[in-house]
Amino acid sequence: MTAPYLALGLAGPHLVELTANRALLSRWDELPVAFSVLGIDRVDGSEPAPLTLTSSAVGATLAGTTKYGRFLITATPQRDHPYNIARRVASLAHLSNGRSGLLIGVRDAYAPEGPEGAAAWGGAGLAGGAPLDAQTAYDAARAVRALELSWPYDSIIGNRDTGILVESNRIVHVDIDNRFSIAGPLNTPEPATGASVIAWYSATAQDGPPRGADDPIELVLGAAGPVPLVALGKEPPASETAGVVLRAGLEHSVGDLLDAAERWLANGFAPISAGGSLRAALNLSAPAPLPPTARAAFPVPQPHVSL
Amino acid sequence: MTNRRSGHVLLGINVLVLGYLPAAWKTPLLKKDSFIDPQYWANLGRTAERGTLDALFLADGPLLGDPAYDANPIRLEPTVNWGQVAAATSRVGLVATASSTFNDPFELAERLLSWDHQTGGRAAWNVVTTRGAPAARNFGMPEIPFRDDRYERATEFVDVVRALWESAATGRDIHHHGPFFDIEGRLRVPPSKQGRPVIFQAGGSPQGRALAGRVAEGVFAAELTKDQAIEHYRLVKGFARDNGRSPDDIKILPGLLLSLGSTEEEARRRSDEIHDAGPAAYSIAWLSQAIGYDASRLELDEPFPEDVLGPIKDTQTFLGSIGFRESILAQIRRTNPTVREYLKQTRYTGSGHAGFVGTPEQLADHIEDWFHAGAVDGFNLQPDRLIDGLAVIVDELVPILRKRGLYRHEYETETLREHFQAASPTPAF
Repeated sequence: MTAPYLALGLAGPHLVELTANRALLSRWDELPVAFSVLGIDRVDGSEPAPLTLTSSAVGATLAGTTKYGRFLITATPQRDHPYNIARRVASLAHLSNGRSGLLIGVRDAYAPEGPEGAAAWGGAGLAGGAPLDAQTAYDAARAVRALELSWPYDSIIGNRDTGILVESNRIVHVDIDNRFSIAGPLNTPEPATGASVIAWYSATAQDGPPRGADDPIELVLGAAGPVPLVALGKEPPASETAGVVLRAGLEHSVGDLLDAAERWLANGFAPISAGGSLRAALNLSAPAPLPPTARAAFPVPQPHVSL
Repeated sequence: MTNRRSGHVLLGINVLVLGYLPAAWKTPLLKKDSFIDPQYWANLGRTAERGTLDALFLADGPLLGDPAYDANPIRLEPTVNWGQVAAATSRVGLVATASSTFNDPFELAERLLSWDHQTGGRAAWNVVTTRGAPAARNFGMPEIPFRDDRYERATEFVDVVRALWESAATGRDIHHHGPFFDIEGRLRVPPSKQGRPVIFQAGGSPQGRALAGRVAEGVFAAELTKDQAIEHYRLVKGFARDNGRSPDDIKILPGLLLSLGSTEEEARRRSDEIHDAGPAAYSIAWLSQAIGYDASRLELDEPFPEDVLGPIKDTQTFLGSIGFRESILAQIRRTNPTVREYLKQTRYTGSGHAGFVGTPEQLADHIEDWFHAGAVDGFNLQPDRLIDGLAVIVDELVPILRKRGLYRHEYETETLREHFQAASPTPAF
């Protein structure tokens, strides 16, 4: 039996507490856990806590203040668009050297729903919007993945002789037409560490990801998946799991969570060495590139002449 | 010269990724992918802070222009980008551009306030409405909405965002029902250390200036001449007064494209070298977009034909900036250059934004002149290449301004709003 890895689940108030305290940040950074979910209460069906922060803002702080800790930001298409989510996901991956990923959620506990029938993105006041359901979240995840792949990292060549910085003919439109219609490409290159890991949360077997072609979901958290959540104060599951997310409640401090994590790591959980990309830490292979039939976004660049 | 003003100027840096010139990436001082390197960005922040600069500004749009020859179209998402820089700095203000057309006001309000919290009250939102069909097509729309519609939406959008920021402090839900948005709810983000994030507006369209007069606390203007800048300064400050605000509540910082050298000749040589290392087609494409006319159809060695210089045919569908077009055409009419001469001339005089090529001493003279003339509250400086251009501003320009009593020696305030409030009051007009 392989020892499971440990991950941490932080709710809204923990995000405020963690990022305001250098000592906690330092402890968090050195803990050999697989990853932390930043604001898991946003997507796991919880009631909103009195305090929270947008997950990507916390991720940006962690990218700048820490070196090793890996994390999943949380986002949903309830009041957010996949193009905008993809931008933050890819930007965080660059600025954290690949330590980040995305937990896509169906509903956002902290946000009001949009209009009936278009409760996802429909509140943005633009044409469109989609039902607030698993298919919309799944389609958003597919869009994020495709957008992150739309600009291959190795197209950045920086050839000073020809004056070509990017082989931009290799950048492609994504031409997505599902619950969202997105031409692409993304305005940020693919992270050097590969496209970001995308995770899903399932409380029950019924709310798993819909699964389809170009499945972007590489990790399922929650009771119905291989990486269940365990509330702080409860015992680890007896059955074999790939990992466990130790989730702090609102009555717990970040210090309580880190104390418990240290105890669990000393008692049978597999440490995941600090540093490196989230994808490498979870031993996940790189997603397949977009098909070669994808429409080029730009012409083949030519060596240029001066005015 | 009018009466001399008391207090100091505001200095921002418009961080056009690697610098405003397309060939900025070619220097051996940079790696091929410095534009996505966290160290590059953290160093920019630290360097700016060494010079006690007021703010770093980042443009944005949810679309990709062709990055074949230029890092400028590459866009890390600004709240994430500046969030990472905030962690490496403690005082410099950070201005993130975000579109009111392609965001949801609830999500953006929460994101901006969260980011402001993480910066300790140093955040500003530059409100833009975004131009161009490529952005629309990333959001399921075939075309960009008309300018009037975009600004109508922006007006309501900003009101909703401000009400939501307020809700974080009061703990009370907002109940907003307008033509574009219906929102009942509140933010649960800690309230802002600076009251609320500072609001910026960029651009010179009548709709943009009206929005600025109503809500903006900073304006990133485009001015080519001092007289024009004085006129616009008074116009926008007047709009603020018409809205029951103090003219001091809104700070005006035109952009200034820079190439600096220890002599004027050295500065010109630097400007020429970086310009010549970039593609000619790029200048022509830029001009086409800016004036709404395909400049590749123009004879390079002939003057601009009259029909190009005429009034804009349809302001609703014009994809460029009206403010930029206005200042460019005024400059062409004044000197009647050939197309090639104009494109080369813009190396020294700017293009849309004013340009400056010279020594730090001369730049200090320019800043002092415009400041005391009542044309600006400060400048948003745009170096040709940041990796070595920013340090010249910090280590050579700033000390000159300090000696002249135009700039502080140390940070005396903490938040961006406080930086703005501590700057020189608006001269009487």
